[in-house]
Amino acid sequence: MIDFSMYDVKAPEILGYKCLTCGALHYPAPMICSKCSSRRDPVTGKRWETFPLEGPVTLLTWTRVWNLPEGYNVKYLLFGIVEFENGLRASGRLGVDEPRTGMKLNTRVEESDERPGKPVNVFVFE
Amino acid sequence: MTARVGIVGVGHTRFGNSSEYDLADVMAYAATDALIDAGILEQRHEVDQVFVANMASGIFCHQTSVASSLVSRMDMEPVPAELIENGPASGASAVKVAYMAIASGMADVVLVVGGEIMRKLTGWEATDTVATMLHTEAEYNMGLTLPSFGGMFARLYMDKYGCTERDLALIAVKDHDNGALNQYAHVQGTCTIDAIHDNVTASVVNNYVAEPLRMYSTCPVTDGAAALVLVNMDSPKAALFKKKAVRIAGVGSATDTHCVHNRKDPLLLDAVRIAGEKAYKMAGIGPKDISFAELHDAFVILELAISEEVGFFDRGKSYLAVRKGETTIHGSLPINPSGGLKSKGHPVGATGVSQVVELVRQLRGEVEEGRQVRDPKYGMSVNFGGFGNNVVAIICAKD
Ligand SMILES: [Zn+2]
Repeated sequence: MIDFSMYDVKAPEILGYKCLTCGALHYPAPMICSKCSSRRDPVTGKRWETFPLEGPVTLLTWTRVWNLPEGYNVKYLLFGIVEFENGLRASGRLGVDEPRTGMKLNTRVEESDERPGKPVNVFVFE
Repeated sequence: MTARVGIVGVGHTRFGNSSEYDLADVMAYAATDALIDAGILEQRHEVDQVFVANMASGIFCHQTSVASSLVSRMDMEPVPAELIENGPASGASAVKVAYMAIASGMADVVLVVGGEIMRKLTGWEATDTVATMLHTEAEYNMGLTLPSFGGMFARLYMDKYGCTERDLALIAVKDHDNGALNQYAHVQGTCTIDAIHDNVTASVVNNYVAEPLRMYSTCPVTDGAAALVLVNMDSPKAALFKKKAVRIAGVGSATDTHCVHNRKDPLLLDAVRIAGEKAYKMAGIGPKDISFAELHDAFVILELAISEEVGFFDRGKSYLAVRKGETTIHGSLPINPSGGLKSKGHPVGATGVSQVVELVRQLRGEVEEGRQVRDPKYGMSVNFGGFGNNVVAIICAKD
């Protein structure tokens, strides 16, 4: 039997938010726009637009974390804070082994099931 | 006129591993010590209000409503009791709320008890539980923890100001020297700069946790409780107490962005700066008046950054003061004479109360031999919640 639902599977993504009243970009989603005080309605999404956070980023700082718990099949994980070209910033994992502050990286989003509960989407900057 | 609120009783368990015990029992033990110290064990129903500080007993101990449990086992019913939760700054928040309760006139005597038992879980589970205070979608789900943010912050600080891993190790040596003399500290041993940094085997003893932070740059996972009795110094109930009160001169608190990445400059801890400014303003003093401080060194890099944000040192210069020994017990501005979170330990809900217990004991002149700050007038504590998104500063005075 063919599971046709697989054709609906979309690549995982993480969304940024744009306030259509003033144009300000946000991540993660606020309830009130910091620039114009417009309210976001999480149900209707009216007057707000979402867009996938993707593309080139600059690495602002990073760390290599050791002693991971069971569930992680790696010796360490690298994390960093990055800035997208649109000025938004995000925290996420790094997919390079020798990071340097200031280096240019690209954005990938993958599904993670290491922690208990439903799988979640995580950034991997590489 | 602001209320004159004094501290007339302190209690503290030996921090460490209390995982075999019930959380409410551990808290009640420290609270009973505080009542005894205040001389009102038998008159405990004179307490008008109990505030309990705890971060996550629901997860750590599978136990909730600990305030109700605590008053009952201390035979204090029907005294009102509530829980105050503000992450790892719960303790100082409870002291702040107690101050507000007294200043409002709703209470004249308040018992504050902070406690946490974290070691019923494994070390990682405890780290994971603490990490639930991060932004769920944008931080926690990524696999980030508090040590991760400590590491990323440390890298920024060290790159910008030239602070080295050896400087961080010097703070650990100083904190352990102090903690080894503190009967309540989790880690009672000292360490040398040779063993944790200079020696060729140091990187094995002192391995990386979240680069550039190592084990000796990070606080242990600790259980424990601390308690205070606060009184309105101008109420008739003040006459109940024999010991001279240590006055709470200033209280300030502030918040910052939940996500660290949303701070314009991720090296600035605005909530610390603003909390400090508010506390100074209320006390009518400035950083130069502070005799010693208990700063929230969950990661030793935070001892540096907090000491700059509250104005003890210029930005990027605090580690130079550490090199010169200025922050040791006998230095010009002792920092973390208790051993700090690094050595004394960090039972998250207890820490803010424990810091104030240390302020009181130092100002009374009753700490253990060898770690008494000389003739202190003002002590300051900074209790740091989240990764700096909710901070409470308290200044105590010996009048
Ligand atoms: Zn807007």
